[in-house]
Amino acid sequence: MVKDYVKKPKVMAKDVNLYYGDFHALKGITLSMEENTVVALIGPSGCGKSTFLRCFNRMNDLIPSTRITGYVMVDGKDINDRSMNVDELRKNIGMVFQKPNPFPKSIFENVAYGLRVNGVKEAKFIEERVERSLKQSALWEEVKDKLKKSAFELSGGQQQRLCIARALAIEPSVLLMDEPASALDPISTAKIEELIYELKNQYTIIIVTHNMQQAGRVSDKTAFFYMGELIECDDTKTMFTNPKHTRTQNYITGRFG
Amino acid sequence: MDSGKIHRRKQASQNFVFTLFTLMSASIVLVLFVILGFIVIRGLPAISWDFLTKMPEDGMTKGGIYPAIIGTFCLMLGSMIFAFPIGIMSGIYVHEYTKDGILKRFMKAMTNNLAGIPSIVFGLFGMSLFVNDLHFGDSILAGSLTLGLLVLPVVIRTTEESLKAIDNSFRVGSYALGATKLQTIRKVVLPMSLPNIITGLILSIGRISGETAPILFTVAAYFLPKLPHSIFDQVMALPYHLYVISTSGTNIVESRKMAYGTALVLVLIVLILNLLANVLRRYFGKKVKMN
Amino acid sequence: MTTTHSHLDEELQLLKTDTLNMWKLVRQQVEKGKEALIQHDKDLARQVVAVERRVNAYELKIDRDCENIFALFTPVAIDLRFVLAALKINSNLERIGDIAEGIARFVIDIDKQFDPELLKVARIVEMFDMSNAMLLDAAQAYEQEDTRLARTLFKKDEKLDEVNNEASYVITDYIKSHPDNIRESLHILSMIRKLERVGDQTKNIAEEIIFYIEAKVLKHKEPNK
Repeated sequence: MVKDYVKKPKVMAKDVNLYYGDFHALKGITLSMEENTVVALIGPSGCGKSTFLRCFNRMNDLIPSTRITGYVMVDGKDINDRSMNVDELRKNIGMVFQKPNPFPKSIFENVAYGLRVNGVKEAKFIEERVERSLKQSALWEEVKDKLKKSAFELSGGQQQRLCIARALAIEPSVLLMDEPASALDPISTAKIEELIYELKNQYTIIIVTHNMQQAGRVSDKTAFFYMGELIECDDTKTMFTNPKHTRTQNYITGRFG
Repeated sequence: MDSGKIHRRKQASQNFVFTLFTLMSASIVLVLFVILGFIVIRGLPAISWDFLTKMPEDGMTKGGIYPAIIGTFCLMLGSMIFAFPIGIMSGIYVHEYTKDGILKRFMKAMTNNLAGIPSIVFGLFGMSLFVNDLHFGDSILAGSLTLGLLVLPVVIRTTEESLKAIDNSFRVGSYALGATKLQTIRKVVLPMSLPNIITGLILSIGRISGETAPILFTVAAYFLPKLPHSIFDQVMALPYHLYVISTSGTNIVESRKMAYGTALVLVLIVLILNLLANVLRRYFGKKVKMN
Repeated sequence: MTTTHSHLDEELQLLKTDTLNMWKLVRQQVEKGKEALIQHDKDLARQVVAVERRVNAYELKIDRDCENIFALFTPVAIDLRFVLAALKINSNLERIGDIAEGIARFVIDIDKQFDPELLKVARIVEMFDMSNAMLLDAAQAYEQEDTRLARTLFKKDEKLDEVNNEASYVITDYIKSHPDNIRESLHILSMIRKLERVGDQTKNIAEEIIFYIEAKVLKHKEPNK
């Protein structure tokens, strides 16, 4: 388990159980993450890693008959508390999905969407923020001359970087990424991985990936899920050179799952 | 059986079915052209500037159908004002807000039932409620409300279907950025579904313009010397006018030419509306840039 | 296609830097060893022994870093060869460090100055100089990926072998004429043997450098390389 004596965790889950109707999807998950680290969630299909990811911005609320118990904390606050405003929560937590989903709007408007929706009206501010976000997601050079063009004219890898820029525009402090590169070609994947490595300095990132090598390249800590349980969580270096559980080792070496 | 024979068999049956489909499609087009041709040929002679802008004269054997055209447009406008906002908002509510379950299924079933009610029954209902009980009398108001009710389920269904066609990933992406449901609908979902909704709306207007039964007891008059100046007035309407000229009236044979002219005008209105639907659809489609 | 500077590149660069730092320490050990012998400076010799701890620490660190790079990045092609070479060079350098430490201990063990004549006939200063030169050249070849320079080391090693082969004869003669200095003579002989091994280890390093840059395996091959 992760030991956090010195630093206060940025994001934490304690004894979280989640049910989709009768199905027990997450079984007593306890995990905490420090600020400015990248944590990778790995495990075979259906093990609950995406479900767990979605706990942090309460996107599971959108799925009917979902029930959650336990404590989920972001920035010291219990996010499932009745007093928590979900929209406010989601402004602080950016999410990038497996399949790039830019809005059918221009590139500019896609990135500006989060700002507009949160009441920002000043045109200059929006322009600057859009430019900064596109630079952060390493897309600015490629699109600076065609900001008014439709987002759909971009390639898959570019669209995904656009979605990252869109998430970054509202200045979240936590980024959730659900298999962000699995729908992309190897070169785009490499670009996204480099991006994550750079973004780590400003954001706390949780990434779900079914690609173990990706977890190795990109993350500081790795958490291995299996059938709704958290089997092991440790420094990535340790997980990949000497994991504590046999099951973890079997998964990582490709002997099952 | 060798592969050559099997191949020839497959090819033959494919050709047969393909030919069948082509013939059927051709026959539909043929039928359309026959009907249109019929009406155009017989109706064209009646069309003239006078026909379109003058009041009927001489027991409907001469003059124009101007008041009927005005009347039809009034009714179209009236029923649009009533049915479109309510229909679109209902559609949005049912699809975006109600949770899956008994209530949703019930509402959808009711909408479908409403759509299936015969138009004459709407007419009777309209007469009872709007004309008599609410004392609107035979009026544009009563007629519009009745016609509105007629197309309401169509509008609701069109809206629902258009919203359904929008992939959920767009909504989810919007929520993840902290947008509320309303913001998501206004800024993402609705703009994307607009082309389809508008198409549906325009097509339903086309339908409104041609319905006779609902306006029979609620607004239509055979002959009015003056144009309407309030919503409580009666009005003439093209489909009704067509009916009456062809069946009663003082001189059926003489009026026959006017009847075809009326039919042609009605058909032209519908065709123009369909064309408009296509143009608008393409325009909004470009704006939205769907994949 | 543009090549990008990645996380892996950073790690490989760090690995190279660590290896070169370790190299510097080991070279210092050999140089100081020579000075300690000529000046009979026991303090200098003790410094050589003390540095050994740092050298060992580097060896452990580099081993661990290589393991991590394999686990986290699954490098291929030149990156893979580089890390494999780094592992081997790491243990070669560590052994050279051990050898240098051993030489220094000999100096500490003898209380008086070594006889300059003994040093001259055994040609030990020459051997020191040659070993030093080889280590320096090897480090340069590694840093600048210069396989031509790496290849010159094979000839140099042969020179060392020459001196080594002569050594037992030369020293036997010396002992006959200087029977009081048997112990020193034996120490000198041992030092020569050790320096010859330094040459061997450095030659191995050269082979690894050529392997990682050219993917050529020169180990156990016939002499004309």
